[in-house]
Amino acid sequence: MSTTKFLLIAAGSLALYASPAVAQLKVVTSTTDLADIASEVGGNRINVRHIGEGYQDPHFIEAKPSFVLQLRNADVWAFVGLDLEAGWMPLLLDGARNQKIRRGGSGYVDVSRAIPLLDVPRSGVDRSQGDVHALGNPHYWLDPSNGRRIAQLFKAKFTELDPKNAAAYDANLKAFEAKLAAAERSWQPQLAAIRGKPVVAWHTSWRYLANYTKMNIVGFMEPKPGVPPSPSHLAGLIQTIKRTGAKVIIMEPFYARKTADFVASRTGIKVLILPPSVGGERALTDYVQLLKSDIGKLAAAVQ
Amino acid sequence: MRRYLLCAALLATPVAAIAQSPQRDSVARADSIARADSIAIVRELEGQQTRDTTDRTAAQAGPVNARLLPDISVVGDMIADFSPKGSTQEGGQRFGIREVEIALQAAVDPYFRGDVFIGLSDEEGAAIEQAYLTATELPGQFEARLGRFLMPVGKQITTHRHALHTIEFPYAIQSYFGPEGLKGTGVYLSRVIAPFGFYQEIIATAVDRFGEAPEGLISSELPNKTLKGLGYSARLRNYWDLSEAANIELSFSGITGVREQEIGFEVDGFTAANRRQSVIGTDFTYRWRPLQQGLYKSFILQAELMQQRNPSSLPRFVESLSGDEASLVPVGNFTGGYAFTRYQTSRRTFLGARFDFLDDPARNGANTRAASGYMEFFPSEFSKLVAGFERYMPGAGDKALNRVILQATFALGPHKPHPF
Repeated sequence: MSTTKFLLIAAGSLALYASPAVAQLKVVTSTTDLADIASEVGGNRINVRHIGEGYQDPHFIEAKPSFVLQLRNADVWAFVGLDLEAGWMPLLLDGARNQKIRRGGSGYVDVSRAIPLLDVPRSGVDRSQGDVHALGNPHYWLDPSNGRRIAQLFKAKFTELDPKNAAAYDANLKAFEAKLAAAERSWQPQLAAIRGKPVVAWHTSWRYLANYTKMNIVGFMEPKPGVPPSPSHLAGLIQTIKRTGAKVIIMEPFYARKTADFVASRTGIKVLILPPSVGGERALTDYVQLLKSDIGKLAAAVQ
Repeated sequence: MRRYLLCAALLATPVAAIAQSPQRDSVARADSIARADSIAIVRELEGQQTRDTTDRTAAQAGPVNARLLPDISVVGDMIADFSPKGSTQEGGQRFGIREVEIALQAAVDPYFRGDVFIGLSDEEGAAIEQAYLTATELPGQFEARLGRFLMPVGKQITTHRHALHTIEFPYAIQSYFGPEGLKGTGVYLSRVIAPFGFYQEIIATAVDRFGEAPEGLISSELPNKTLKGLGYSARLRNYWDLSEAANIELSFSGITGVREQEIGFEVDGFTAANRRQSVIGTDFTYRWRPLQQGLYKSFILQAELMQQRNPSSLPRFVESLSGDEASLVPVGNFTGGYAFTRYQTSRRTFLGARFDFLDDPARNGANTRAASGYMEFFPSEFSKLVAGFERYMPGAGDKALNRVILQATFALGPHKPHPF
């Protein structure tokens, strides 16, 4: 190797070392939705990765050791909270041995702490009621106003950890809010079509979307949260569908649709697979697209 | 076949209910709306959510554990043994509570986490199964534990018995370590590394002794009189993602220490000889679980191979006294292992099979084999029912034995997930 080549490589290495890429905040999130919103706010000042995929049930992610490698050097660990990740998060955080992202660390971000919650039990709950989240319903990202809150939380956290880029985070937040507001204006006709329409949902994960769209969930495929449908429950649900005129069963792509198809065959109701998260379908690569797609599909289905 | 069974199950009740009888309609409607089902639970929660709390965030609602109580959980592990030639359980019972485990887990302070597991059983009474401090603030991404813990030697041994996919530990583990696996009291140090781009973890321990102190045996001195007599173990874990759905782990372990070995008769008041014993082994696990269908499909193939290594000759004083008489003291090396597989057939049902083989040191190295099949049913994440059949073939001319065992386990409270 000539001296010139060696010097060029050395200079290149030094330049890389000094580039903003090296100084990026390393952000790991539990879901794709949080990752996308973090990416909108952080822009090229952060490096974002996520543990779960959008087509995967976030309750049942395997705590694979390869995730530990992502987390051990992370500056921020942002998660949905409310025990959504209780089955796997403790193993990953223990495995990562990273003080920054342990509870109490500067990068430990329980996003639910910034969200007004639905379904928070004010009296005791127990597991006879199924997989009830004792701290509240964790599927809050499906309400765009919560998407805005998540973005604001990320802006505050990134600014705290990386104050020299505060202006960039602020500008990115404003751009995201403007994009979301424009999208909200665009889907007003669909919201009007959905308002008050009776629907059946598979799991309680659609409660926030229902709260936003004002669709009326008249029944759930699951007899109790997290419990697979039983024949006797389905018999009752079929009567509910007939009585209320519900037009659609909405369900996530990770549930087997055979049972929903059976109910559809008995009632004429449509089965609508709605991705609950970014990446739930290949084309849904960002949060605003996800909401736009779900609201559009829902409006078409309830006609 | 599964499709027909599913259709039959789904059709049986709904079709009957749909028959237009008003009485049946009202019963069915009651099931969907009025009883404590998902919609009723949501309505109840909506009712509880008063107007002034609707806009409060979780942060504004205050701490969720104001009294700083530890996570408390209980796991029950019950066994029924319907083996045709009589119970094969240690106490001979047909129905028994094998163990109740009480776990207390919490952060101790900013530097340590504490985990305590108390085991209660009819056979052994109350025992400290595990109790350890974990240092969470060490530099260099080290993790250290101090106390009693499951020894990181092999794969299955790092899992609590109630959480196994089979009812009992493989025979090689039972024979070389103990029926409940292997615990140690001492220090544990581990570090995750990735010099080659994949996950590796190095774990080393130093414990008071290799295995539990045997009851009723007396040797000339305590095995841990010198530091050479302590138990020392090391493990190297290697893990690779093959795809987003499949991964493998190939790991290597070893443990050595001085153990009291029963000599079968009394010499100068002593009934045991202190002898070094080591076990080395390797374990392999392949897992497959497609992310989108992960609730319904998964597959595991796991195998461990291990060798117990003992001195190649009897202690001199035993040899001179016993002559040709066989001694209970193990001599030479014994090899054993198992292969296990499990396939998920539906959201709540799994089928599994295991093949065991070992040179049994308690039977002069007789080649013992066992083949077993299991069906696991999970009503929920917090309960499990297992039915198992095993053909146990002890070798050395002894008769084979059929075993039929049922197991039920349940978990109360927030039990921390088991290692991957």
